[in-house]
Amino acid sequence: MQSAPAGPPERGYACSVAEEKIEAGPPTDPVAKAEMDRAFEDLYRAHLRDVYSYAYYRVGNHHDAEDLTEQAFLQAYRHFDRARRESDGRPLRPWLIRIAHNLASNYFRDRSRRPQTPLDSADPISAPHGTEALVEGREELRNVMAGLQHLPDDRREALIMRFALGMDNREIARALGRTDGATKVLIHRAIKQLQEQMDEEAGDD
Amino acid sequence: MTEHAVERLLADALRPIEPPERLSGRLEETFSAVAEAAANELSDWAEALTESELEALRDPRNWVRPAIAVTAGGVATGALVLFELRRRSRQRSGGGLRGLTDELRSRL
Repeated sequence: MQSAPAGPPERGYACSVAEEKIEAGPPTDPVAKAEMDRAFEDLYRAHLRDVYSYAYYRVGNHHDAEDLTEQAFLQAYRHFDRARRESDGRPLRPWLIRIAHNLASNYFRDRSRRPQTPLDSADPISAPHGTEALVEGREELRNVMAGLQHLPDDRREALIMRFALGMDNREIARALGRTDGATKVLIHRAIKQLQEQMDEEAGDD
Repeated sequence: MTEHAVERLLADALRPIEPPERLSGRLEETFSAVAEAAANELSDWAEALTESELEALRDPRNWVRPAIAVTAGGVATGALVLFELRRRSRQRSGGGLRGLTDELRSRL
């Protein structure tokens, strides 16, 4: 899988891919490097599940999600020192997800693939009571997952970040390189579109 | 279906996915290898740099080049200063056709 560059948290979100290719590299001082490695380990432990979940919902299979997660953390490691310096203490999760987002975009562009629907994960957490309700609940989940695949990429990605990763509007905005207001509108429209799709399907049935 | 119902369905459908155990092991191995390689590279580079610097300081052949550079620089600066002084003295005495006319007048 081809790697995607990612710049430091704030400037990198808005800057072009070419600018993002500037590499910071790890610090040369051994003490600083050891401290950086410890901080990176904390980041990795805290957000491995987030990056993996995002990757999985983007590519739709575990094998490629593992590759994408590994590449995302390797990219993050290369730019971590600079990212920390320029983050001004803000959380680095949006930056990490931004890296995974770029890698996933490359993945689809380079291989001309389309996202697969991860239906296996669509089982309800809290199963409704009774067999009929259970079947109905599973059907609704399948429909919502299928509906997600028909959304434009940016809307689908925003919903994955919101619901699978629990990111708030500000975090999603930083990850997607948009303003908070634009992100709020994006999510609202995504939910609205999904709602209309599901209503249409229910009407057809 | 209401918006709230769609949000509830999304929350159920898009659950966080636990990464497989093997991925954690694989990533930790990768990071260890990367960190080790970087540390070795840094250490080799630092050692090589120190040795080469000391070597350069000890070797008299390396003293010639800086000495030549300093001498050449001094000569060039001197030439520039001289050139500038001559230009200014010419300006003071008046240059060009008018200067020549004045000089001829004074001689006559």
